[in-house]
Amino acid sequence: MKITCKVLSLLVFSLLAAGQAREIELLNVSYDPTRELYQDYNAAFAKYWKARTGDTVTILQSHGGSGKQARSVIDGLGADVVTLALAYDIDAIAEKGKLIPDDWQKRLPDNSTPYTSTIVFLVRKGNPKGIRDWDDLVKPGVSVITPNPKTSGGARWNYLAAWGYALKTQGNDESKARAFVARLFKNVPVLDTGARGATTTFVQRGIGDVLIAWENEALLSLKESGKDEFEIIAPSLSILAEPPVTWVDRVVKKHGTREVAKAYLQYLYSPEGQEIAAKNFYRPRLEVVAQKYAAVFPKVNLFTIDQVFGGWQKAQTTHFNEGGVFDQIQQSNR
Amino acid sequence: MKTNRTMVLLAIIGALTLGQRVWADDTNAADEIGVLRQQIDSLDQKVRILERQREVDRDAATDSAKEAVRTMPVITAGANGFSFRSADTNFMLALHGLVDVDSRSFFEDHGLKGNDGFILRRARPILQGTVFRDFDFLFVPDFGGSTVQIQDAYLNYRFSPELQLQGGKFKSPVGLEQLQSDTAILFNERSLATDLVPNRDLGVELHGDLFGGVISYAAGIFDGAPDYSGTTTNADYDDDKALAGRLFVQPFKTTSLSALRGFGFGIGGSYEVDRASTNTVNTGLTPGYLTDGQQKLFSYTNGVAGNGAHWRISPQGYYYYGPVSLLGEYVISEQRVQNFTKGKTAELQNSAWEISGGWVLTGEDASYAGVTPRHSFDPWNGGWGAVQLVGRYAELNVDKAAFPIFADPGTSASSAQAWAVGLNWYLNRDIRVDTSFSRTRFDGGTGAKATVTRQPENVFFTRMQLAF
Repeated sequence: MKITCKVLSLLVFSLLAAGQAREIELLNVSYDPTRELYQDYNAAFAKYWKARTGDTVTILQSHGGSGKQARSVIDGLGADVVTLALAYDIDAIAEKGKLIPDDWQKRLPDNSTPYTSTIVFLVRKGNPKGIRDWDDLVKPGVSVITPNPKTSGGARWNYLAAWGYALKTQGNDESKARAFVARLFKNVPVLDTGARGATTTFVQRGIGDVLIAWENEALLSLKESGKDEFEIIAPSLSILAEPPVTWVDRVVKKHGTREVAKAYLQYLYSPEGQEIAAKNFYRPRLEVVAQKYAAVFPKVNLFTIDQVFGGWQKAQTTHFNEGGVFDQIQQSNR
Repeated sequence: MKTNRTMVLLAIIGALTLGQRVWADDTNAADEIGVLRQQIDSLDQKVRILERQREVDRDAATDSAKEAVRTMPVITAGANGFSFRSADTNFMLALHGLVDVDSRSFFEDHGLKGNDGFILRRARPILQGTVFRDFDFLFVPDFGGSTVQIQDAYLNYRFSPELQLQGGKFKSPVGLEQLQSDTAILFNERSLATDLVPNRDLGVELHGDLFGGVISYAAGIFDGAPDYSGTTTNADYDDDKALAGRLFVQPFKTTSLSALRGFGFGIGGSYEVDRASTNTVNTGLTPGYLTDGQQKLFSYTNGVAGNGAHWRISPQGYYYYGPVSLLGEYVISEQRVQNFTKGKTAELQNSAWEISGGWVLTGEDASYAGVTPRHSFDPWNGGWGAVQLVGRYAELNVDKAAFPIFADPGTSASSAQAWAVGLNWYLNRDIRVDTSFSRTRFDGGTGAKATVTRQPENVFFTRMQLAF
């Protein structure tokens, strides 16, 4: 009997000990401009998780062009969570990698997009070329900086924003929209592979008259370079960019990190997470936080990808796949 | 007067004309400067664009090169063997090898013949791989000893670390020391405790690691193997199957308590029903319990076979902290046996236990997976490998009721106690040289002086091991 008690005590002790603090690592594979956001957010989440569970979580980051990042995950990069520029790239992880279920976007609120952004223009101080709207970008002699839509998620948002504007202002005429976008890309002297590279081209290398950019990226450039060098121009119409997030089922199962990965993404929707997003110039979903930061974000008329293009799958197939409209435009511009 | 006025007028006109020309020259210069500035700005933009384009092209070339490398199959050769794998790691084939060349020298054995000498204990090419990402396989033939046999041949499906399904021939999940790799055991031969657990068996098991390895489990159905026997079969000897399983807990494995991270304990066990016949080839019984020197200290007599329930239970544990290691286990193996010649049956309960420990004198960490020397043997550059001092004590007790109906007291001992000490030298990750001395004392064994159990066994071992 005494031995049985001792064995039971040892077992209970062991099970209690098994519940002690753990050290956990998560890998967040993200797109180019989120470096600053997740630097702040990861520190806040680690603190929150430590207080909640006692576990120490270390979040590793990987950044690059959204499409390239998705490809890496499909090829085996062990991302516990992905926070990419567009839903299509995560769809690819579901379809080609079979790493997440097809209905991944229904697992978190707001179609798994905890923050949004839009596309704006960054111009040099004084706006020497008088750029006010999309029409000004297609004028001869205006040098436009935007990354390559084939490799950059941000560039695809830029392209679609321009296309949506052209459709709206030219009577929904697809051929006119195509000609408009072709003229715009004729004014692009360099196609960077990612949004951060395009910012470097415009801000650091001093190339171009206008940068078509994520709003958060433009606001960040303004913050870092000062208002003496650049100005932000909000076009009359732009696109609602919804960068989605999800955990990668097969990887979290393998790493045993499902619970923490899920909590990591859910915390993005919390007031604290939304505040960090807003501070890093992403438009928060939470109304209270959105109101608090209303002055930061210019008022822009926005359309969604579903409204104009019928969703990402259709937009991707029509415009960005091999031989799609963008390839044809580039061919004709040569 | 008129002439003067004319002169003044001419002077005024001249001055005005000259001034106009100067003003016109200034205006032209400013325009030119403006044009030149524009040209310079335009050229500056062009140069900047070209430079940036070069950067982008260079980055693209670097990315392409990385992509090419990333998508190329990878061939590796190193201390862990030779392998090639697809770029996405979904397909992999690795070649490993294990060779043990031993020597055994017996002292004061009172004329026992044929036990001293050099032995090719193991000679195993090991083929290990992965197909379609989640399916692993292992194939290990053994050309060592006196018979060629297949040690392992199995396929493992990794659904997740927590849930895996393995089928084929592999070690039955019962004994702690038995499950330890041949490259990590402290002595040339496993202890007396391992005499009572099953060796490799054919079957299917579910296994996995929970909570990051805090809990490991394995449970399966097998053909059923007798108490440890060096030679294993590739077929069943009866229709009945054995159940075997093991649960092992390392409660502090993922915590920051470094002094306790290497502590683990668990329990293994098995159950089967033997329905053997008098066919003495497959009796369901151990072919013999072996000493450290691999001499038979106990065996059942002819005409005896397992006929009924056979169960084992083995509480077990280990502790690793820095250079120190401790491992212990206790095994009970109870089996219903029948002497068909004499028409007698009995349930015999044999038991054994061992405790072994090591201390890496050169300071490297010890672990269940072995010792990795910090510096490989390279005396010209001050590298001497790692040296480990090891010790062990073990006992085996045979049920007294086994004698004399089921076992011959003349040749079989009723119990054995063995101690051993040794020094292991890890020259590098692949090569190891061991020396040890073992002494085993027997109770029972009333036979002639030349029988194994008549006097204590004293053996000096050496081993040269190549494992890559």
